[in-house]
Amino acid sequence: MTQLQARGLVRSYGPTPALRGITMEVAEGEIVAVTGPSGCGKSTLLHCLAGILRPDAGEVAWRGHRIDTWSEAARSRLRRTEFGVLFQFGQLVAELTAAENVALPLLLAGTGRRAARTAALTWLDRFGVAELADVRPGEMSGGQQQRCATARALVTEPRVLFADEPTGSLDTLTGEQVLTQLVRLAREQRTTVVLITHEPRIAAYADREIVLRDGVIDHTGLGLDAAPVTGGVR
Amino acid sequence: MRPGTFVRLAVAGNRTDAARVALTALSALLASLAVLAALSVLAIQTPPGDSGAHSEQYTNALLREPGLRGGTAFAILLLTIPVLALAGQCARLGAPTRDRRLAALRLAGATPGQVTGIAVLETGLASLIGTLIGLASYLVGRALLHRPDTDGRLPLPTDVLPTLPELALVVLALPMVAAAATALMLRRITATPLGVVRRTRRAGPPRPWPALLIALGVLGAALFQPIREASGDRLTRWFFVGVLVVAFAAVLGVILGAAWISRQTGRLLHRHASSPAQLLAAGRLSEDPWAGSRTFAALLAALVFGAGAAAFRAQFQLRDDIERKQNWQSDFGDGRNEFYLRAVDLVDLAVAVAVAIAAAGLLVMLIEGITARRRTYAALVAGGVPRATIGVSILWQVLTPMVPAVLLALGAGYTIGRLLNPDIVLAGDWETVCRATTELCADPATRDRHTELVRTGGMTYSPDVPLDQLALLGAGAVAATLLTVGLGVLFLRQNTAVEELRAG
Amino acid sequence: MSTPHVLLGLLAGGTKHGYDLKRAHDERLPQARPLAYGQVYATLGRLVRDGLVAPAGQERLAGPDRTAYALTEEGRDALDLWLSTVEPPMPHVNSTLFAKVVVALLVADVTRARTYLIAQRRAHTDRLRELTALKTNPTATVDDVVAADYAIAHLDADLRWLHTTLDRVADWHREVHR
Repeated sequence: MTQLQARGLVRSYGPTPALRGITMEVAEGEIVAVTGPSGCGKSTLLHCLAGILRPDAGEVAWRGHRIDTWSEAARSRLRRTEFGVLFQFGQLVAELTAAENVALPLLLAGTGRRAARTAALTWLDRFGVAELADVRPGEMSGGQQQRCATARALVTEPRVLFADEPTGSLDTLTGEQVLTQLVRLAREQRTTVVLITHEPRIAAYADREIVLRDGVIDHTGLGLDAAPVTGGVR
Repeated sequence: MRPGTFVRLAVAGNRTDAARVALTALSALLASLAVLAALSVLAIQTPPGDSGAHSEQYTNALLREPGLRGGTAFAILLLTIPVLALAGQCARLGAPTRDRRLAALRLAGATPGQVTGIAVLETGLASLIGTLIGLASYLVGRALLHRPDTDGRLPLPTDVLPTLPELALVVLALPMVAAAATALMLRRITATPLGVVRRTRRAGPPRPWPALLIALGVLGAALFQPIREASGDRLTRWFFVGVLVVAFAAVLGVILGAAWISRQTGRLLHRHASSPAQLLAAGRLSEDPWAGSRTFAALLAALVFGAGAAAFRAQFQLRDDIERKQNWQSDFGDGRNEFYLRAVDLVDLAVAVAVAIAAAGLLVMLIEGITARRRTYAALVAGGVPRATIGVSILWQVLTPMVPAVLLALGAGYTIGRLLNPDIVLAGDWETVCRATTELCADPATRDRHTELVRTGGMTYSPDVPLDQLALLGAGAVAATLLTVGLGVLFLRQNTAVEELRAG
Repeated sequence: MSTPHVLLGLLAGGTKHGYDLKRAHDERLPQARPLAYGQVYATLGRLVRDGLVAPAGQERLAGPDRTAYALTEEGRDALDLWLSTVEPPMPHVNSTLFAKVVVALLVADVTRARTYLIAQRRAHTDRLRELTALKTNPTATVDDVVAADYAIAHLDADLRWLHTTLDRVADWHREVHR
């Protein structure tokens, strides 16, 4: 089944176009990497697909339901219940402990505090940071914070996980460990993952790669259209 | 460093820094005006003669009677307390950004002394500008308000001037105190350039010791009356200093105590939180309890002051009522003397102004807090947390510590005010009373043996607790805060925009 | 790769037959080109000749002669010397990949060079994904992970080079044909 579908997505920031007509599909349980150089529109595409931003034109559908026309409140609820989001950094609430941070989405959904904590501890354990349950983000390393953030993104067992450069602020080994666990758990739960990265190495964790260049999908995967063809032909 | 570079670095900064400088100057201006007004009152000469000699050139009894002038000056000086609290609050405005800028200067090779110097220069210069404008406004206002009535009498002491050393002291000492306070606050930054970047946490959670300061204030107020009765009027002038100290101790205690209240209510809320909004607020409260002190300082100071004034008003009201009753009994006609009540009206006006200033300060702090945490908020919104939840959490975060702190401020202020205003005891007339059976009293022979001379009609009047006025003060403060939070939450939308999440 | 030294290293743990050596080699270096028997015996012969390895007895089971080999004192010294010698960091750029693009620019045009780069990039990407899958497989051993890491790092470097070269190929062509 098609999990996500975008048709003719256009989005600009003022006069600057970020997306210039994107059409793509992501199947259920598929892990898709979106790559491209800085400023190619990767993050904007993720924000549109996740219902954080509304496209200027075009459609976004989730399991056949068109979501870009939904109200902010409805899209918030969708993100809270069916989606998980993971950013490069800065997403944990500094004043809450790791367990409380992870439990937050469940609490928002109305789960009781005790049950939410139990679930949070399970997820922290899956990412190997159960011993940090009562520690606040300020006292953790970057890798530990990102593990907690990943646990939080997955705690609601979402159908789709949106990850924007999730290992961008981590060293190679730590980034790899976080990503390996993420991909393994996503495959176990058949979670669809949209992974934004500019590194070929990170993109290799996905089943498929979509390359963006200047707001459009580069179907050769190589950016031929953008490179000027010059020089003598023999 | 050349002086030019020094000044250039001191005034470098964004709009928040400019706002901080302006507010610092404004606080200094208000404080200097208050002190100058008090000094003018004290500068009035008492004409030679007995103790009853009045300075007849004024229309106002507060200025005419030497015995009242001390109190008047004192009341004006009390007004500087909320102003100083506001100044302290403004000093924190945009401070994280400034601290980072100063730490960056340290990393670039500035010595600790240079960095402290830059910050101290900023505060000192701003305060100096404030006090200079204050002095100028005082001199101009003095000329403008010098309007003798037909009898040549003055409504204000515009004919006297504090001595030159006094004026110099006001203009120079206030900026120096402000600069010293800044140097004190920057200890952490000058110690380590990385300290700010790493955000070292404040040493330890707040302790309940500020309660001792409040107790000290109350105790001092309780001793006020007995000492005055024992010493007569000899020490009157010192009493005003004493009361100033007592009031200052209480205000400081309430402000510092707000941090402890923040932490305790935060923990309590944390234990019983049933919604994410409450949990977020509880986490913030127990993690940064000093934010509560910083946010509410001016408001709480105004409330302590206002509650004290309410006690005075109750006393004056009572005295007025009693006098009217007596006048009515002795057929003196109406004889209403609302003189003191009008004086308290002025104080109440000052309190209202202080609350308004404090609310503005609160708004600034609130927006500052939201801006500082915009990335986290934006990530929460992206993750599906409704903005309303964040708004409600801010409301919880502000109101939870505020309600007990307001009650404490009102309680402490009223208690001190009430202790300074003891019950009114009125002496009655002497009468003979026969304390025996009717028979014995009817018999002139035995009556004398049973007759006593007693005072009748003597009564002790206690002013009622002015609950309505205290409630009005509390409700006013809460309403001002609610309004402020409402305005602050409007800034949430722009601070949770997805642009905040862009990496790098 | 230095096969003689790898064999010396495998023998450092104790005497081994040629067959054991091949198996140990393939197991320890999973992503390396598998060693042929002939190559094992030829190398062992050279090592015996140089006195680095000595035959240490024979046993005849159901099959051909199986000679066990042991490390000599000289062999141990040679291994030690090899282990303590730093490899020269990329003294020459002698990659086929690089050479092929140069030749494509010499004998053909930009499009040809670019077509080659595109195809190569796709192949690299596919291999990178394959190795990543191998590495993230829950049953992967540390041997597998470390070997895959080595290859991944090199593919990653190649891919970066392919990326930037694609953007530079026109300028490069112009320079070659000046």
